[in-house]
Amino acid sequence: MKIITIGIIDYGMGNHASVAHSLRELGFRVRISKEPAQLDLVDALVLPGVGAFPAAMGALYERGLVAYLQEQARLQRPLIGICLGMQLLASASYEHEYTVGLDLIPGEIVPFADHGGHIGWNTLECTQNDPLLISSDGLAFYFNHSFHYQGPVEYQVAVTRHPSEFASVIRRGSVIGLQFHPEKSQAAGKALLKQLILGLANA
Amino acid sequence: MLKKRLVGVVTVKDGWAVQSFGYRRYLPLGKPECLVENLDRWGADEILVQVIDRSVIDGAPDFELLKKIARLGLGTPLIYGGGISTVEDGVKVVQSGADRLSVDALLHDDLSVVMGLSDRLGAQAVIASMPMAMGAHGPEWFNYRSKQTIPIGEALAEAIVQGVVSEVLLTDWLHEGYPTGFDSSLIDLFPFKKVPLITFGGISTSEQMKRLFAYPNVAAVSVGNFLSYREHAIQQFKNELASAALRPATYATDFWLPADV
Repeated sequence: MKIITIGIIDYGMGNHASVAHSLRELGFRVRISKEPAQLDLVDALVLPGVGAFPAAMGALYERGLVAYLQEQARLQRPLIGICLGMQLLASASYEHEYTVGLDLIPGEIVPFADHGGHIGWNTLECTQNDPLLISSDGLAFYFNHSFHYQGPVEYQVAVTRHPSEFASVIRRGSVIGLQFHPEKSQAAGKALLKQLILGLANA
Repeated sequence: MLKKRLVGVVTVKDGWAVQSFGYRRYLPLGKPECLVENLDRWGADEILVQVIDRSVIDGAPDFELLKKIARLGLGTPLIYGGGISTVEDGVKVVQSGADRLSVDALLHDDLSVVMGLSDRLGAQAVIASMPMAMGAHGPEWFNYRSKQTIPIGEALAEAIVQGVVSEVLLTDWLHEGYPTGFDSSLIDLFPFKKVPLITFGGISTSEQMKRLFAYPNVAAVSVGNFLSYREHAIQQFKNELASAALRPATYATDFWLPADV
């Protein structure tokens, strides 16, 4: 059986080690790199991230990764964004200042209505019958964010309530964004990551 | 619905995990990474590692400890506190495996750094750690380095109200380590009603936790010493609480079966 290799995009934002450890534990091979030539060799890309949207986009531009990621999406290579990485997939964000994103999934990143954070464990509610996610319906995952995706319903695969609904998983083809941290969501997170990667890489 | 959290706390002094009593007496428990590993296995909702001597000795964050913890490959979110004095420290702590930071001495020393951390990492990543105790006229803020109580200054009050930090770790330092010691009037009289609280210090029974979780502004209850007296303490507390407001107890296994996926 072929071992699936995951490329974690290293753009200097956040904690790659936790994601890498989870993926290795699930039996995947992991490469952490900012070099397109290295990332070209993997089966699926993961874009993690902790921090603010403008700084993260700046870091992607500095490393020449914006055009690269857009091209990979066009080629339908699997790409999973986690937390801030999910937000970067959107068209733009209002965090600190209006900043254009990767624009891979139409929609914007906006603050919660009360301008507070959403920190802790909360449940996913699948809104579409997506086979990669349905086994995670109703399970709790760890969130840690103050902004969220707002965009067309067709891209919203799962929602979470805080107290109003917001999109916690977005998807456009082989590009998927997870607002929560699967790598810090214990068994539920690992099961979801495995399901997603196997489903996307073997599609 | 966002769940309330049961946080496991590991207090570290001189490189060892310790039981702490009222911020003045300490009993060694063992290697911090072993306790962290247990909390991860027991399904804590978050783990707080607070290294209490880093700011006293003007030391940097304990990156060696963070490295050891990173090797565990935690599946549980990690909060780290201790020795963070610059934005660069905070960024490096996150890159070393922490999901959130807790700052205490920095609230006294340099609020602009706290604001810088919030700008760089997002307010959700920053927690204000405030040891408090009831005084003659209400809650008093304790400076653990000078051992003096001081009023909460206008600048800090403004920062908390403006959301520079996402949560306050409200520690009843006087009753820390003493069974059922937490004084809930600290919550009743805490001046900032809108900021979510993580309560800590002298929380030892599920009945007491139930009362604390009933406060709308208590987002999390954290327990340190009292997790050390029995195996699977997190699951046992969660089962005793049996509340829809909490994530149910989880049980980890390293034994993989094909039926798992």
